[in-house]
Amino acid sequence: MDELLLLPILLPMIGGAILLMSSFWENLREAGTVGKAGKAAAADKNNETRPKMRAVHAATMTTLSVSAAAALILAWTGERSLTLFTLLQDIPVFFRVDAVSRLFVTVVSVIWLAAGIYAFVYMRHEGREKRFFGFYLLLYGVLVALDFAGNLVTFYLCYEFVTLLSFPLVLHSGTREAVMAALKYLFYSMCGAYGGLFGIFFLNRYCDSLSFTPGGTLGAMAAGHQGILLTAVFVMLLGFGAKAGMLPLHAWLPTAHPVAPSPASAVLSAIIVKAGVLAVIRVVFYLVGPEFIRGTWVQYAWMTLALITVFMGSMLAYREKVFKKRLAYSTVSQVSYILFGLSLLNAGGLTGALLHFAGHAVIKCGLFLTAGVFLYKFGYARVDQLTGMGKKMPVTMWCYTIFSLGLIGIPPTIGFVSKWHLAEGALQSGKIFGALSGLQGAAQSADIGAFSWIGPAVLLVSALLTAGYLLPIVLKGFFPGEEAHGMDLKREEPSFCMLMPLVVLAALTLLLGIFSEPLICYAEAIAGQVLP
Amino acid sequence: MDFVQNFPFISIILSLFSGPLSSVLSGKWAKRVNTAVIVVIGFLSAATLGFVISTGQAYVYTMGHFPAPWGNEIRVGVLEAAMALFFCVIMFLSMLGGIREREEQIEESKQNLYYVMVDLLLCSLLALVYTNDLFTAYVFVEINTISACGLIMIRQNGRTIEAATRYMIMSLLGSGLLLLGICFLYDLTGHLLMSNIKEQVGILAATGSYHIPLVVALGLMSVGLAIKSALYPFHAWLPDAYGYSTLSSAAILSSLVSKGYIFLLIKIFYRVIGFEIVKESKVIHVLFVFGIIGMIMGSVSAIKEDDIRRMIAFSSVAQIGYIYMGFGLGTAEGVIASIYHVVSHSATKSLLFVAASGLTDASGKSPRYRDLTGAAYRNRLAGVAFTVGSLSMVGMPIFSGFISKLLFARAAIGHHYKMLPTLIALAISVVLNAVYFMKTVIRIYTPVPADMEIAAGRTVPAGEQPAKSAALVCFIVLNLLLGLSSEPIINLIRSGLEMFG
Repeated sequence: MDELLLLPILLPMIGGAILLMSSFWENLREAGTVGKAGKAAAADKNNETRPKMRAVHAATMTTLSVSAAAALILAWTGERSLTLFTLLQDIPVFFRVDAVSRLFVTVVSVIWLAAGIYAFVYMRHEGREKRFFGFYLLLYGVLVALDFAGNLVTFYLCYEFVTLLSFPLVLHSGTREAVMAALKYLFYSMCGAYGGLFGIFFLNRYCDSLSFTPGGTLGAMAAGHQGILLTAVFVMLLGFGAKAGMLPLHAWLPTAHPVAPSPASAVLSAIIVKAGVLAVIRVVFYLVGPEFIRGTWVQYAWMTLALITVFMGSMLAYREKVFKKRLAYSTVSQVSYILFGLSLLNAGGLTGALLHFAGHAVIKCGLFLTAGVFLYKFGYARVDQLTGMGKKMPVTMWCYTIFSLGLIGIPPTIGFVSKWHLAEGALQSGKIFGALSGLQGAAQSADIGAFSWIGPAVLLVSALLTAGYLLPIVLKGFFPGEEAHGMDLKREEPSFCMLMPLVVLAALTLLLGIFSEPLICYAEAIAGQVLP
Repeated sequence: MDFVQNFPFISIILSLFSGPLSSVLSGKWAKRVNTAVIVVIGFLSAATLGFVISTGQAYVYTMGHFPAPWGNEIRVGVLEAAMALFFCVIMFLSMLGGIREREEQIEESKQNLYYVMVDLLLCSLLALVYTNDLFTAYVFVEINTISACGLIMIRQNGRTIEAATRYMIMSLLGSGLLLLGICFLYDLTGHLLMSNIKEQVGILAATGSYHIPLVVALGLMSVGLAIKSALYPFHAWLPDAYGYSTLSSAAILSSLVSKGYIFLLIKIFYRVIGFEIVKESKVIHVLFVFGIIGMIMGSVSAIKEDDIRRMIAFSSVAQIGYIYMGFGLGTAEGVIASIYHVVSHSATKSLLFVAASGLTDASGKSPRYRDLTGAAYRNRLAGVAFTVGSLSMVGMPIFSGFISKLLFARAAIGHHYKMLPTLIALAISVVLNAVYFMKTVIRIYTPVPADMEIAAGRTVPAGEQPAKSAALVCFIVLNLLLGLSSEPIINLIRSGLEMFG
């Protein structure tokens, strides 16, 4: 029992709740004085309240850093667990920190801080800052709880709240388009979550316990019920896959990301989407057990869906002209890299998936923040408007270049390391390559047939497409050519608060790639635990 | 014999006589008497509940010490006492929430009549809960119907008269079927007392004689009560009756009246026929199928609705479907889930009705979606309450709805052929629920666009109608309580069902 675990969960939630209350009060007072003159007064007020906003920022930052520090310290110092209360007979609300939680909570905290600092400036032009930061803090608390969740019901509880609390971030601007997109997001997520719930009902009966245990807890009860259990697991994969943007339920992603404010789309893409990945990891490796799925139709269907999503996402991104939408499609594709890695059910695949999780979070957050810079400074939303950007804001553009190289998978970035492991994991499972390479992994995992070479091939094609949709912006940005004539190419870098997170994330992309050894070891240790 | 054991009987008599008394009082005094009666009965029921829990067994109370065939019996167990207490709480809060509406919508001269109806309704509900005699149950079913009609009709506009007429026709059809069923049973067994009938039915079932008439009787009673509690194909009376009557009526009708009939049906299953025999009959399959269809069709109708109160009413159809689906599973776990859902749905539905009226108050009394835009900013408490109710209906963890869905799913798992239909229906229905409840929540939290003028929209502070605000807060707390500490309530239901047998 360790009540301290509640600190990083409750602290940001309380902070967020206070901010929301105060924003609600303000709205209420304004509602009283709304009239014809309301608009003009609001504009005036905007200038007056800057110092007040600074206080809000300071409060948000303090809460966030304290809770992030608490979360990291608690996560990395020893085994901790906490049973809060019992929801139903033998279903407690239960938190426990394990290896996967540590990795996830670290990535979440880094991204949350980076996007948070960026948002202090960016949200100025979106307005309703208090509400944004209120939900931003609340969401952080819930995400920490999600990462710490020790059994499936607790996880599900937090998962639902992640959906519910990220929803206001999507509809932030309050336009009809945003509301419709947010509704779409809500609908897909809820459908997905209920797919997950459907599976929970079955696992509740057939698993020995719903607590996450490396290697799974599927007991003797399951004998003779393979058919129905496999179906349930598949429904869970589809359901939680909805959040991760996997094929049949991916459509919310390209709709919801572009309408959200850029910091919100950054965290949506980098973190919220990964809640689905975490769910899949928890279900497959910690409850059902990889042995149960290996070699069944579920594994093949899962691999197929993931690969189709990888390819289709890249293809759609290639054709898309709106920058943030292009990035959203790219997320669809890249997150399915992770899912494909998981679906291999071997050590190499899992290692690659975990590495790609961390790498993609950093890179995609950076990319969305870059897109936000263009929106904030010039209001440019389309790709073809970005010509000559490299002259105007070289630092931003260099960061963007590094992110692009990372996403494509060119050394020495983290993207290269993760994709290498993913491809290796796929090849290990094949008969020929496995035997040739003589790796340990070949012995433990069953032959997955043609997938062992189709997989890497699709990943390669998709990487090419990624280069195709990311690099032209770099080229046009630095070498505008003829079009540059008559363009105003004055240096206009964004302010420090916006630039700093970008630079830090770009540095992380490089550093994680160059000094990847500890991360790889950590991921391999996790893989070793769950795949004995 | 302890004095406490008289309490159920005193409760029934108290509410029965407060009715006629109220008819000669002024509206104001009738209201006071009514409130006092509900509160007193609530305390009496709580005391009874405490007594039954402490003794750990049900007791039979013979009125005037006349033994069964001549005298009348009531039987009190944990489940009965708990239900009586719960009904009192919900009725008290519903009446509290609707004070303002009653004053505005009911003619001055008819105010006291409303309380007469409520008193009689409470009396009949208590009698349905406690009685051990099938014919007494029938008599009080009729009293219940008549007073419910009065509750619908007392707000005098064309819609309610039509609604009351519909309700009357459907309800009487239901009562007729129930009566026929009781007649069949009387014919077969020669008894009207529940325990005696059960003995005889057990003998009949063991010898296998009169199998078909027995099933017919069970079917007639089930369908009769299903009509009265608005199971799917028989729900036509419901949306108008709930949608246009005054607020307290709608809340009471949706959360108590239909639940009283459902409780009677549970009694018939357990105490009259015997659950083993019910399980083997095909009647529960019919209930199961109707329940499943209702879960989905009710939600589909609710999605199409443009009037918030009618939407909530249609959602009741779906929720009643859940309850019958639980019966249809034919396991004790299923029935426990159904009873928990009765409790959870009553608490949530009356909350939603009261919250919706708070929202319409802030939007010029218009229940249309368009006018509700941004209503949650104009009436904050109602907005929060409506959101809580919606989340509970959608099955969000920490609210009561999640627990009942979990219980249904647990009950269904392992059932060899009803498992998949149940789970799939649950999944679809939950998604449909999410569609219309979340749509409404978003609508009430959408800021009013500049080019849109809400007719008579105004800010309603929480202090303007203290009674309604208090009721809302209590409802929210009740909902959280049910969602977070479901364990003791489920244990209570379980032990109550065991006492039933």
